[in-house]
Amino acid sequence: MSKSNEFDVIVIGGGITGAGTARDCAMRGLKVLLIERHDIATGATGRNHGLLHSGARYAVTDQESATECIEENMILRRIASHCVDETDGFFITLPEDDLAYQAKFVEACRTAGIRADIIDPEEARRLEPSVNPDIIGAVRVPDGSVDPFRLCAANMLDAKLHGARVLVHTEVTEIIKEGDTVLGVRTLDHVSGENGEWYAPVTVNAGGIWGHGIAEKAGVQVGMFPAKGALLIFAHRVNNIVINRCRKPANADILVPGDTVCVIGTTSTRVPYEECDDMKVTPEEVDLLLTEGAKLAPSLATTRILRAYAGVRPLVSADNDPTGRNISRGIVCLDHEERDSLKGFVTITGGKLMTYRLMAEKATDVVCRKLGLERKCQTAVTPLPGSELGGFRETIKKLWTMPATTYQKATAFRAGSSARDIEKGVGLVCECEEVSSGEVDYAIRNLDVHSLTDLRRRTRVGMGTCQGELCACRAAGMLAAAHGCAERARTDLRSFMNERWKGNRPIAWGDTLRECEFTNWIYKHVLGL
Amino acid sequence: MKFQTIIVGGGLAGLTAGLALQKKGVSCAIISSGENALHFSSGTFSGDCPEEIVPLFEEAHITLKGDPSKDSWRLTPSGSMQKVRLAFEDITLYSSQKISASNVLIANPEGFIDFPTSFIADGLSQQGISCKVKTFSLPCLKTLRESPSEMRSVGIAKKLDGCIEEVAERLRGLLEGEDLLILPQVFGLASPEPVRALRTALPVEIAFLGTMPPSVPGIRVQLQLKKAFERAGGTFLMGDTAVSAEIADGTVRLIRTKNLDSHILTADNYILASGTFFSKGLSSSMEKISEPLFGLDIDCPSERTEWYSEDFFAPQPYMAAGVVTDKDFHPLKDGAPISNLYAVGSILAGEKNAGMALTSTFKVIKKIAL
Repeated sequence: MSKSNEFDVIVIGGGITGAGTARDCAMRGLKVLLIERHDIATGATGRNHGLLHSGARYAVTDQESATECIEENMILRRIASHCVDETDGFFITLPEDDLAYQAKFVEACRTAGIRADIIDPEEARRLEPSVNPDIIGAVRVPDGSVDPFRLCAANMLDAKLHGARVLVHTEVTEIIKEGDTVLGVRTLDHVSGENGEWYAPVTVNAGGIWGHGIAEKAGVQVGMFPAKGALLIFAHRVNNIVINRCRKPANADILVPGDTVCVIGTTSTRVPYEECDDMKVTPEEVDLLLTEGAKLAPSLATTRILRAYAGVRPLVSADNDPTGRNISRGIVCLDHEERDSLKGFVTITGGKLMTYRLMAEKATDVVCRKLGLERKCQTAVTPLPGSELGGFRETIKKLWTMPATTYQKATAFRAGSSARDIEKGVGLVCECEEVSSGEVDYAIRNLDVHSLTDLRRRTRVGMGTCQGELCACRAAGMLAAAHGCAERARTDLRSFMNERWKGNRPIAWGDTLRECEFTNWIYKHVLGL
Repeated sequence: MKFQTIIVGGGLAGLTAGLALQKKGVSCAIISSGENALHFSSGTFSGDCPEEIVPLFEEAHITLKGDPSKDSWRLTPSGSMQKVRLAFEDITLYSSQKISASNVLIANPEGFIDFPTSFIADGLSQQGISCKVKTFSLPCLKTLRESPSEMRSVGIAKKLDGCIEEVAERLRGLLEGEDLLILPQVFGLASPEPVRALRTALPVEIAFLGTMPPSVPGIRVQLQLKKAFERAGGTFLMGDTAVSAEIADGTVRLIRTKNLDSHILTADNYILASGTFFSKGLSSSMEKISEPLFGLDIDCPSERTEWYSEDFFAPQPYMAAGVVTDKDFHPLKDGAPISNLYAVGSILAGEKNAGMALTSTFKVIKKIAL
């Protein structure tokens, strides 16, 4: 019998790549340990558009990525139906753009296997009334939106259901090596303060941009290109169809509807590694996003903005491109035994949210090969927990015989078929997103929730219009009761409010500032925090 | 329509000004959009408060506890102790940072999540006070619990105020010889009677602590002040908003409101008590902070990036923004004072608290009613 700290594979990183890899490995029968320094989806996984790329964006510049995207797009619609909103997308041409690009674009899409239909601008305006009325061209493609938090949590949950062990808030402090072989890792648990030692014949580095540092700990170099992308979230869903600019990828040219909001982005600037842990959105980035965003949908200029945020793309550096726009979004899977003569160590990086499953498959293939196993990947055909009953509408019909209440709809939209296991609870924690105390309880019990920020990523508590004004305190009370520590919950509440404020600050004017003032009043004066 | 004084804003400063002036025989109209900070009040006033506030509030049947010129302490819903001067009668004030109790029961309606009982219990235990948390339920709350969005302070108060005897009975059953009972502020929405009745019925000191908004005592006090103002003969323009004003030769000539669009409002004196951003006394855009009604001069940092502190809990420069006045509280427009306009309350630039709001209000009252 093996020891409790010995595994077949250790996966470092609880983003979507790590979660997907843990799931794939576990489904192929491996004994898996996943280690994440913060919470799941803390890095780039939770800091992007949430765009279910059709691949059209890359069709002209990067056929390989485009093909991967459309294949994974179709797979995610099946296996992650509760995380996906099948909205479709437009690539619009504005009077200032070259309409000739459209023909090239459509041809490139079709070569990559992406359905791309040129539609009449009049028809485009009818289908998506928020679109800039001056458009001179529109192409419809199978874009959509995907909730990265939900997708990551579902992968993590399924990995656990297949026997994987997940350690969150646990940092890898050292890679244990013997000669030219990686044997395992040493860790520090940031919640308990305990040190740990874990062993496995293969360790997978799925740390995203932080994978650079993990590789260094193992004594190998993975040259990355940290490219910051800033985005803005608007307080309601202005558009129902994804709107892209039909031109070479540039700043602020994608507007994605997601849940109750919509997101414009991004910018792209190279940043030093030191900044990756604390990205700040600058006033210039806000100006640029607003100016360019209003060209896609003019009403954005007068729509309330909820918050600004930024992520770092884990691009693998290739040349001296200062923006990173021209670097391939392709997948990089490095077997360091072949590359650096370091045994037992694999890095999976590059790629993007859309292709996480394929990345996981490639990494798991390498892991199995190294372990001398031949096991078939099942992740492309096996639905994730929550997606077993199909999409949102089918799920509701199958779960309840009576017409669903708004609360049931909200829960089923977020949790898919898992809504069946969620009690209604007595109170409503979050009015903006209609999150019940039952859903919060469920997340605390089943989904590795240690803090309010963790809870936000599982349930959307604090993500709505009020940005945590009322719900944060309610949820903090529930966490205090669940974890039996009020002091920790109160400290957590303070840091949660600061985290919300960080995203509000760059865009705090108008109604957003009114809400911030009100929130400040409640927490400082009414609650006395 | 002509009044002696028109007051823009029906919050604490505006209502206090209106009531005091009306009592001194000055005919007043208050234009109130209905949203003001009293609805989210902590039930306490901090900062130096004028002596006159206590007797004035008595005339509105509002009892204020504490000493206007000396600090007391209140227990906050997050379990901390906070310095205050005056408090609505629901609140219990302490003369030091230490609570005078040894054994406390916190009782909360079952399913009410707007009252952080665990924080309060933790705060008390840090003071070395033993403390139990219990929940109670009553048949009248059943319908609320079936619809989760209804389990809020005001909804609960509406039900509980109607069955105080039953509540007292239920609470009596929970008590085990404690010397302090802590309850959420879910009593006394229309009058302070339910609060008083509970205190009379139970053999224990009761402290009512704030909940997440809205504030039940705050709403009650706002209503009591409004009623007293109307009883004294004042005109309360409820749900109306001042939308424009005409200024000529350094004086306000008239005000137009949303609801009375064909009628203009004129007065000898005008008081601007429209509050800060929340109540729309101040507004902000990407470029600047402004006072929307008169276009008054504003004191605030010119660059947007300077409006904020990184720490949410640190003083925020935007929250100190406000109008600039001369020594007689006449606000400046393009550097010159407007002679028949006064600014009072939280719209004034600088540090803001109830004491400062009330102090400026009483100074202006004395100027108008000599």
